[in-house]
Amino acid sequence: MKNTTKKLLTAALALTAAAATQAGAQDAKLKACFIYVGPTGDIGWSYAHDQGRKAAEKALPWLETQYVESVPEGQALPAIDRLAKNGCKVIFTTSFGYMDDTVAAAKKYPDIIFAHNAGFKRAPNLATYMADFYQVYYLNGLVAGALTKSGKVGFVGTYPIPELKRHLSAFALGVKAANPKATVNVKWINSWFDPAKTREASEALISEGADVLSSAEDSATGVQTAGAKNITTFSHYNPMLRFSPGNVVSGHIVHWDKIYIDFLTKVHNGTYTNKNLANVDYWWLLSKGAVEMGADMGMPINAKFVPQLKAAKMTVGGKTVSVYDRVMALEAEMSKGGKFDPFTGPIKDRNGVLRVPAGKTMSIADLNSMSWVAPGVVGQVADEPKK
Amino acid sequence: MDELISALLRALAFGTPLLLASLGAVINERAGVVNLGVEGMMALGALAGFAVAYGDGSPGSGSVWLGILAAMAAGGLAALLHAFVTITLRANQFVSGLSLSLLGLGVAGLLGKKYEGFPLFGQPNQWPFTIGAIVLALLLAFWLTSTRAGLTLRSVGENPAAADVLGLNVNLIRYGAVAFGGAMAGLAGAYLSLVYRPSWTDGMTAGLGWIAVALVIFVGWNPLRAIFGSVFFGLLYYLQFRLQGKTFIPTEFFGAMPYLLVIVVLAFAGLRGQQGAAPEALGRPYNRGER
Repeated sequence: MKNTTKKLLTAALALTAAAATQAGAQDAKLKACFIYVGPTGDIGWSYAHDQGRKAAEKALPWLETQYVESVPEGQALPAIDRLAKNGCKVIFTTSFGYMDDTVAAAKKYPDIIFAHNAGFKRAPNLATYMADFYQVYYLNGLVAGALTKSGKVGFVGTYPIPELKRHLSAFALGVKAANPKATVNVKWINSWFDPAKTREASEALISEGADVLSSAEDSATGVQTAGAKNITTFSHYNPMLRFSPGNVVSGHIVHWDKIYIDFLTKVHNGTYTNKNLANVDYWWLLSKGAVEMGADMGMPINAKFVPQLKAAKMTVGGKTVSVYDRVMALEAEMSKGGKFDPFTGPIKDRNGVLRVPAGKTMSIADLNSMSWVAPGVVGQVADEPKK
Repeated sequence: MDELISALLRALAFGTPLLLASLGAVINERAGVVNLGVEGMMALGALAGFAVAYGDGSPGSGSVWLGILAAMAAGGLAALLHAFVTITLRANQFVSGLSLSLLGLGVAGLLGKKYEGFPLFGQPNQWPFTIGAIVLALLLAFWLTSTRAGLTLRSVGENPAAADVLGLNVNLIRYGAVAFGGAMAGLAGAYLSLVYRPSWTDGMTAGLGWIAVALVIFVGWNPLRAIFGSVFFGLLYYLQFRLQGKTFIPTEFFGAMPYLLVIVVLAFAGLRGQQGAAPEALGRPYNRGER
């Protein structure tokens, strides 16, 4: 119901904005429009996309943008219809659940260029894109494994979809590498944005002994809850150091603007048209600067935790190294596109089934359809294959 | 034992805003006025509370206690709008309340944009709110059943025509009750944005106001039972995570429990003909001289 009001308000604003632009100079600007699943102020996913939109608008003088926020998944079509009417030439739909609506819209509006975020279905005028965190989750896992004293690391999961299983597993592989005895205890909230559920799920994890906490929900509530209990935690999606300066050790930060600027530039100069996008899939990681490891922009690890991480040791290829050095070395290697990959075999899932053979790494398609979870994950995981 | 205590503490923390909001709703419903606007008034309270407590972000520029007063004022003013529409203009209470929820959420979301993304430090302790809410519930229970003023309020909700004949100002009493309900919803919102989170985000009430509305029916319009009702809801809410992965029951079931329970209780009350727990004139505008 809230969304209806929002839509009405946004529509009213959009009309005003449209009228204003028409009144202004008629220089042919490229109009790119965005559909967000949450409020732009969630300090998580939608906020990050909106930051990317703003940065792109700033960087590209020929660009104008518009957005619609809090559009429920599965209800993207009406929003797309409205944006199409408003003259959008490029439409970004920024949630996994918009996938089928976006595919339908691409058919309905063959002249508009679409880009769907986090999905896998494409069309001549529909590309896909993702800035993925699995490398960063692995690095944060190393940090979490080194810092846990109880051996229990808590993880507040949103939905048990491939993306979350990939991140959870990469995190667990990192935790195990730094601390073979530690586990990652997961609780699912079945929502992208629900601060109260995040709070209570975090409280449950803490009371079960977790002394390091990570959350995938789109607000700073996980960080605040950990901060109130003085336990170590991670930024999610955006810099969250300011919410608990003494407790945020590192985290995962996204830079959607890198993708938006690249994509829109290629639309502007004619590289991308409404006929040639069927094979355009952005899968941008550390090496493209689309993601960053850190408690805050440009701060991979909170200085307060550096001595502890330097003192913590782990074994790599028979040699003992400090966890800090290992994290920094791997971050540097993956940032320049080196060959290290967290999902390099042999990897068995938590039920003992071999999932990645020795010497192989997972393909993007495998990563996008992952249904198993790595050893060390404790808790209910829906749709987990037995064999 | 420790587990039980920690679960109860979480139940109290999560149940506090539910108790505050539902006590307000019990009072305005006991006076014969339904207000489905709780969610919207809560959002307005949460924003007003946060804005005043945050100030310009520098330490000492805002005041938590003024924030709480502002939250109650915001909720109360929004409720007065509902009171004017339903009591003076005699519009449908359900429609007006629903609109108020939408309006409150929309306005709070729009005005709150500039506060999104900021933490609040030096937030108040939870316990004064929790203990205060329980004490208030006890006082209201006593007030409703054992004082003349409480009797007056109830008579306005049960039989406004008779109350009118006795010389009571039905409309004025209803105005007061609705404003009280709004102030309590605002206070519940302030608890969320100042104590429980503590920060402001659009949509942060996330349906808690609707649980409070359901809670009023669940506890049979009784302030004493509201204490147990809200703690019980809080317990269920917390346990859905605490028990996750420990039982064969899927987590979704625990998540749906509070709502399932409301339906079951309502069904039982209906079967046994006990809808009578609701004030007789609930939801009906009072029209002088009409029967």
